Amino acid sequence: MLLLAILIPLIAAAACYFIKSIRAQYYISLTVSVLHLSFSFSLFMGWYRPGEFILFSADSLSQLILLVLSNVYFWVVLVSFAYLTRTAASHSVSGRRYYFLLLNFYLFANTAAILSNNFGMYWVASEATTLSVAPLIYYYRNEEALEAMWKYLFLVSLGIAFAFIGILFLMLSSNGTVLEGRQLFFTEFAEKSALLNPIWLKASFIFIFVGMSTKIGIAPMHAADVDATSNSPSPVAALMAGSLRITALLGVMRIFQIVTPSSIHGFAQTILIIGGLFSLFVAFVFMFKVKNYKRLLAYSSVEHLGIITLAIGIGGLAFVGAMYHIVYNSICKVVLFFIAGNVHREFKTREIAGVSSVMNLMPWTGWLFLLAFFAISAIPPFGIFFSELMIFEGMLFSGKPWILVVTMFFMLFIFINMGRALFQMLYRKSEDEVVLKEPERFDITHFASIALLIAVIVIAVASPDILREHILSISKDFGIKL
Amino acid sequence: MQNVLSIIFCLSLFYLAVTSRVKTYVTVLQLQGIILTALLLYPLIDHFSVPALILPATLFIVKVYLIPKYIKKILLDLDIKRIIEPTIQQFSFLLLVISTMTVIFVAANILSKSTGIETIPFASGFSAVAVGMFIIIFRKKLIIHVAGFLVLENGIFLFGSTIASKLPMMIELGSLLDIFVVVFLMGIALNKISSTLSGFEVTALRRLKD
Amino acid sequence: MDLNTLAQGIFALLTILVLAPLFAGVINKQKAIFTGRIGAPVVQPYYELKRLLRKETINASSSSFISDIAPAVNLIAMVVAAAMLPVGFMKPLISFEGDIILFAYVLGLARFFQILAAMDIGSSFEGMGASREATFAVFAEPIFFFTIGSVAFADNLTSIYDIYHSIRLDNVTYIVFIVVCSISVLILAVTECSRMPIDDPNTHLELTMIHEVMILDNSGVDLFLYQYSSYVKLCIYAIVEASLFYPFAVQNSYVAVIIFMVVIAVLATTLAVVETVTARFKLKFVPQYLLFATAIGVLNLLIYTFTK
Repeated sequence: MLLLAILIPLIAAAACYFIKSIRAQYYISLTVSVLHLSFSFSLFMGWYRPGEFILFSADSLSQLILLVLSNVYFWVVLVSFAYLTRTAASHSVSGRRYYFLLLNFYLFANTAAILSNNFGMYWVASEATTLSVAPLIYYYRNEEALEAMWKYLFLVSLGIAFAFIGILFLMLSSNGTVLEGRQLFFTEFAEKSALLNPIWLKASFIFIFVGMSTKIGIAPMHAADVDATSNSPSPVAALMAGSLRITALLGVMRIFQIVTPSSIHGFAQTILIIGGLFSLFVAFVFMFKVKNYKRLLAYSSVEHLGIITLAIGIGGLAFVGAMYHIVYNSICKVVLFFIAGNVHREFKTREIAGVSSVMNLMPWTGWLFLLAFFAISAIPPFGIFFSELMIFEGMLFSGKPWILVVTMFFMLFIFINMGRALFQMLYRKSEDEVVLKEPERFDITHFASIALLIAVIVIAVASPDILREHILSISKDFGIKL
Repeated sequence: MQNVLSIIFCLSLFYLAVTSRVKTYVTVLQLQGIILTALLLYPLIDHFSVPALILPATLFIVKVYLIPKYIKKILLDLDIKRIIEPTIQQFSFLLLVISTMTVIFVAANILSKSTGIETIPFASGFSAVAVGMFIIIFRKKLIIHVAGFLVLENGIFLFGSTIASKLPMMIELGSLLDIFVVVFLMGIALNKISSTLSGFEVTALRRLKD
Repeated sequence: MDLNTLAQGIFALLTILVLAPLFAGVINKQKAIFTGRIGAPVVQPYYELKRLLRKETINASSSSFISDIAPAVNLIAMVVAAAMLPVGFMKPLISFEGDIILFAYVLGLARFFQILAAMDIGSSFEGMGASREATFAVFAEPIFFFTIGSVAFADNLTSIYDIYHSIRLDNVTYIVFIVVCSISVLILAVTECSRMPIDDPNTHLELTMIHEVMILDNSGVDLFLYQYSSYVKLCIYAIVEASLFYPFAVQNSYVAVIIFMVVIAVLATTLAVVETVTARFKLKFVPQYLLFATAIGVLNLLIYTFTK
């Protein structure tokens, strides 16, 4: 069954290669995404309990992140057809031709990465995710897209190479223990990590963290990620911000899980905290000067992944908050990028200065943009408020309360700057105002955005037990006592 | 034997640091490919088996024949200048390489006391990773960046083969990194980066920034 | 020191002093043949030295006593250095613990006086040559210490004679080690003796040369001393290089000398080939070329330290 979940997207990708019609490709992909969503949902709800299958298995963490992936993927596929059939001159034939093929390949690679239970498989799948997403970034076939793709591909390949070095070091750390010469299973290594050589384990952690942070978008390795997210078509950007970064974060969490019972736990925590704080700092600085609203959103991703990393590093209640944050952030980011795509469609520019009175011209988009902004800025009753509250509480009682002060300071300015840019776009009256020929119609992206925003509220307010159980079980795997 | 090959490997790194021709990079990459193949073939002298030949054979074809040939083709097709265009002086670059290598060797020697690693191949491989990074940082041409990535990858392969002898699957996984290189080269060739981005240099990649 | 070793030492020294011009002649002859000329006879350097001896010595009017003593100091330093080198398995005249340092700095002294003398003349040409010589010397000196030094370090020996005698080609890493060493010593020899990729002894174009320009204003006996000591220097470096391959020689001292001569002849051919196929470097490439040789030396030192 696990294998089936991995293979079906691959088969669908192959089918997309032979089918010429975009519409047919869309229906195939949509079917696959629904199947995948129902699979990961039933896995999450515990209706189906898989055994281990050679290199794949699903623990609580995999189940949670798989659900995040399926959810994001489903909505992205849903809006993709509308996006592809828009009559915009910038679309290219070959970009459209391979779009769904690559989406399916992306799903295949990500599922394999998330469900893998050892580092070898995870690494290979993670490499495949990069390969699948790179051509998607180059969808527009113009110079900016080419530059973004080249930078992303190159930096992430370097990161992957570094992660491989880290994996080799992990292997080296097991020399002379019972684990020597075994496959790098997460659970096995996590159980016996006290036996591992601490120096090599430390090196391994650093290399995997730095390597994967090119994909996660943790500063200072965030540059290519920001470029790629801001220059790709908005469904792809949503996919990257919503799920690809989380898949990469999984790698870091796995190695963190391995070092948790060992003597270098404190060291790893410090590294994560530094990475998280530095990402916040970078987001804080760039929010002052960024002039492009898609890049603004990309920096917001850097900020939120930074918060998650920071919270994982702090542990305790903050860790629980981080798990919630992963879920909420991915949903909010999808909404934001969908909306940004709508704005881009009408105004044909990514500059903040080129966009004005969205509220008047495109009321649906405008209002949803505002709500999504509230959601990402942790305004209640949106979920991020609750998860950040938990993270802050964790920080306060972690013994390092100064981190809370610093984080709050950064986040306040990020909020102000983001808000300023957004309100300019929404309300500013401009001289040469774009006049729309017809009033904005309610389309599928609006539907998706509303559904997702409602989901963020419902999940947060209703707080389903099953999610709580999962997150507590993940926390237990990471040795956190609450 | 491993030591001897590693020493030649290190010398090739020095040569990379001083050369200023793009073609020399290709030749050195070929040499490194041969060294790595020899490294994999050497244990086969004692216990020969046909399946064990697959990896060295693939490596040889890819690293010594296909990739260099492709790079040369790109050099011809896109009419790339023969000078590598460094951003710092070759002299400082070499000095940097020497000092890094010294640090790596000393560190590897200290670490080899607590774990059973072979200092020379390990340190040589790791130096190649560092040199690959330096090449990427201090050179302008994109094709040289690809070459730098290849050097880095060769380094990973070299020290990986000393670490992972008990788990040969990991070494085979490492060779998957070649796929990236092929994709880079395809990206350059198919999209004619030189025609869209004038000059085929990193300086041309300045469009995206804040 | 018994009589036998004394005789051996004197023999070795005399061999070097007598055959040094011949070595240069052999190189030049081979080079001529490679480039398709007949070339001067191999004993041509002797004729030239003889010619110089008959000429009158004139010093520049602005020069001081430095110009008078420098050529002599130069030759004496070379002779002392030559006396420290083993020819074949012969024990050199001067040999003690730590003579490797003396060897390096006796050569340094010669260079120092040559540079001083060049500046002493007061011509800007010589000054330029001196400045280049000094610059490149800075980069050349570490090569010697890192390569010969790494061999020395390997066995904790500090006497040149002992260092060369400790080389045993019994394991494959060591052979590579020695071969790699020899590359960087060859680069050193080429630099110190102002040969092809660094300096072209044949061009008499003042702007491009290094060594030749420093002795531009010397004549007669002074020029004889300079020329002769440069032949001796070339021979010294040839021996430094050839001695690395000692173990190929037989332990019997007189047969060893003959085999040694063969190694040197091979080296002469190598130098001739190198000079034929390479062009002179741009001046700005010289430091990185020399640093490359130092890098090899550093690598050697590292590898040898960690495989011991």
